[in-house]
Amino acid sequence: MYTWIPLSAIADLAQLTTHISSEYGPKAVAKKLADSLSDAVKSVLIEHDYTDKDYRSTYYNFYAKKGQHYRPECVRLHFFDATVSFDENTLRLTSATDDRLTDHYYGYMVLRPTGIGTIGRSVLSPDVRRGASRYIIAAAHKVHLLGYTLMIRGFPSMDQHRDVSVCAHASCWSMLRHYSERYPVYREFLTHDITMMAQQFNPGGLVPSKGLGVPQAERIFQAAGTFPLVVARKRNTVIDPTFYRQLAAYVDSGFPLFAAMHKRQHAVVVVGYEWRAPVNTAIAGMRYSWDEIESLAVVDDNHLPYIPIPKSGGSLYSAEDIDTFIVAFPEKIFYPAEAVERLAPALFKLGAVVGLPPQDETILRYFITTGSALRRFVRKRESEFDPQLLKTIMSLPFAQFVWIVEIATEPQWATNQLFARAIIDATASPRELMPLWLLHTTTEALVFDRETVGLELHAGMRGLSLSDMGHTTFTRMDQNLRPTQTK
Amino acid sequence: MAKKETVFEQIDGLVPVDPKALVDFEREMTDKVIPEIVEVLEERRLLAEESRLRELEVLIDKDK
Repeated sequence: MYTWIPLSAIADLAQLTTHISSEYGPKAVAKKLADSLSDAVKSVLIEHDYTDKDYRSTYYNFYAKKGQHYRPECVRLHFFDATVSFDENTLRLTSATDDRLTDHYYGYMVLRPTGIGTIGRSVLSPDVRRGASRYIIAAAHKVHLLGYTLMIRGFPSMDQHRDVSVCAHASCWSMLRHYSERYPVYREFLTHDITMMAQQFNPGGLVPSKGLGVPQAERIFQAAGTFPLVVARKRNTVIDPTFYRQLAAYVDSGFPLFAAMHKRQHAVVVVGYEWRAPVNTAIAGMRYSWDEIESLAVVDDNHLPYIPIPKSGGSLYSAEDIDTFIVAFPEKIFYPAEAVERLAPALFKLGAVVGLPPQDETILRYFITTGSALRRFVRKRESEFDPQLLKTIMSLPFAQFVWIVEIATEPQWATNQLFARAIIDATASPRELMPLWLLHTTTEALVFDRETVGLELHAGMRGLSLSDMGHTTFTRMDQNLRPTQTK
Repeated sequence: MAKKETVFEQIDGLVPVDPKALVDFEREMTDKVIPEIVEVLEERRLLAEESRLRELEVLIDKDK
């Protein structure tokens, strides 16, 4: 059964209470949605008696065994823009402007019949989330509805169940669901799977009465086939810039982070960020991308996704409350962000060879990407690259992952441009003297043969003078995260 | 089987780099950067170990 609710204003979501029974918590859900979604959402389609695999995994293993009766069916809400209409006789969805329903779809939210914490598996578009940050880690999620196949790009979220899962389980689930949609190499794990993966053995009861800590989360990510790296902040101080620079680098690499806030006894997923407005500083000194970040975006199981949190202060909590994070690496990333942070300033010792700007006048940004993504980026901007430099990037035998270091002056940063780029082998050992593949500006490049550079530095590197391509900068590489288009 | 071309043989215009231009970089890496990397990675590993010991704290939102 399907119910269509047109909305003249987002507050009209209160109508959910008349169409959905109380065990799905429609009143609380309607308030949450009205408080968080933009007025661009103009209709909701309620899909009754929806079979949700995540809820069913907990139903079969927990709720069905309880004395209290729980229904096995869920309700799913779908959100659309103003162009979409619904014919109740034919159950047909139509857009007034074109036949691409996906372009007018803002995502879905499953409601579980559990009375409390009823928001289940959800993927919402950051575009209609009030206050969502500019850059969000997202994957395309396929949605089957009434014979239509819709796609929504977002990050998965859900409320914690409280009995079979707590906030940290929900955070692990969100990350792993993102991985299974984003990377074909990872399988899908359901809510109950996540709860069980945290344990060494089946404890019999599924009540995680003691919550879930960093070691269990690490265990879950390991069991899921990733290679988790735990990064903890120095104790008893929030002044640990290296911790936050790493955090920024990994998020900018497109890796969602399991973020633990022990003092608040809470865990969230960091899924994006917002740059601060460009500034002109009178004080000389090299800066890092973390210095240019205004806020982080988090998925918190107490709220709808993509909440912006400031670096410090804030009404909810801030980046200062995060004391540990876990990045779930794919295989073959051996050179950590902390090593890149130390290596990047040393590149200025090669400044005379490639013509780098003064170190004190630059902003450094570094992130991981794949060799193929780098080549795709370069191919799309062929006109920026000297033909031999382009050929070099296409020919170097990159391992799957590379670190990109972007070096920009303040004015270049303000216009999304950069002065120089270094490509570092993400499979390098932290003790390597020269872990680079390439370092280039618009006039000069240094090319490294990774077969020989480790044996003899001088023999493994060559210089390349670049022809004038009619520009003095390169475009910043912004392709790991999805830019939010606020609606 | 054809001889495998090195990266340097595939690209035109490459020239050797004056070894003197690398001295500062090599010294910086050897004397400062690599020892620092080794030290900070070990320090961070120990911090991660400490963080794992805080597992008994309940990561559950009490407001709910």
